Amino acid sequence: MGLLWLAVAAPLALPAVLLAQQPAAAPDLSGVWNLRNSPQTRYLSYSFMGEEPPMTEWAQEKFKLTRPSFGPRSFKDSNDPVNPTTLNTVGCFPPGTPRIYLQPFPMEIIQTPGRLMLFYEFNHFIRQIWTDGRPHNTDLGNTWFGDSIGKWEGDTLVVDTIGINDKSWIDRAGHPHSDQLHVVERMKRTDAATLQIDLTFEDAKAYTKPWGGRLIFQRHPTWNITEMVCEDNVNFDEFLKNEAKGAK
Amino acid sequence: MRNRVACLAAAAGLLLLQSALLAHHGTAGYNTKDPVMVDGVVTDFQFVNPHCVVSLNAKDAKGEDQKWQGELTSPNHLLRAGWNSHSIKPGDKITITGWRSTSGANSMWITKTVVNGQELKTAAGD
Repeated sequence: MGLLWLAVAAPLALPAVLLAQQPAAAPDLSGVWNLRNSPQTRYLSYSFMGEEPPMTEWAQEKFKLTRPSFGPRSFKDSNDPVNPTTLNTVGCFPPGTPRIYLQPFPMEIIQTPGRLMLFYEFNHFIRQIWTDGRPHNTDLGNTWFGDSIGKWEGDTLVVDTIGINDKSWIDRAGHPHSDQLHVVERMKRTDAATLQIDLTFEDAKAYTKPWGGRLIFQRHPTWNITEMVCEDNVNFDEFLKNEAKGAK
Repeated sequence: MRNRVACLAAAAGLLLLQSALLAHHGTAGYNTKDPVMVDGVVTDFQFVNPHCVVSLNAKDAKGEDQKWQGELTSPNHLLRAGWNSHSIKPGDKITITGWRSTSGANSMWITKTVVNGQELKTAAGD
């Protein structure tokens, strides 16, 4: 009898705003997901679309100064804030939103009532997407991953992110963005093994019109997220010194 | 076509020492158009981030030792492809195929690994 009362009364105790955002049976996006690239293209995903994004003059000037190690404009002496390949350069800064998706490591989606967490293997970064109806909160100021809130539209979770700082590149090809960047992600499972994320980027300071791309992820039920620490790059110093010595 | 250490050593000798720039996390530091294959004996295997490293001794045309090193993908990816930290051990006979460093060093990005006659695949097939 007591249990029955709880079952009836518990939903009534939830804030109305929460009930509005949380469908009776929210689609389950949980699992370990990896970008569906072939082994040959695993390291070639450097941008969200196959053409140059529509940069403003401001962005073009910034783009001239970026030296990515991937993409059609790749440099040996990269100044990539995540993976610089120039000696004595500090790296391992967060890729930020949305570039984190292009780092070649899987992510796990952990879904709980009111919150979805994207647990990226790359340096174990986590994005929290609040689905409990709360509004944006940028009290912390602009951050690497910004502030994300999500709303269900049928089988699709629409994630809205603002408050992203301008320290990161928008992709691995060195395209910049400003702190006005507004990212919208539409996430849905197209079948049991497939997750589709459509991304739209609005940033009037950096781009003349909205652009974005579609990412397809494959679910890997047997995979676990494992340790991956970017700062471990120091382990690689000896290899790199040998490589830089050149032929004897 | 199998390029041998001896051929490469002669060509590489013409290259000047390039600026000391690090070349990991991209293929810009590797000559992807000229695959190289090296046979040798493993001296060390590091199963570490960001990329795993194999060290080996190979013989040049005169039968003298040449130290080589090869770079693989990260341990996370190799784990999912069936590897572990003991997949390669010092003393193993190894053949590595891959892209040589543009600096001309005895250093490559490995695309194929054969240990004691068995190929170790480097991709999980996703």
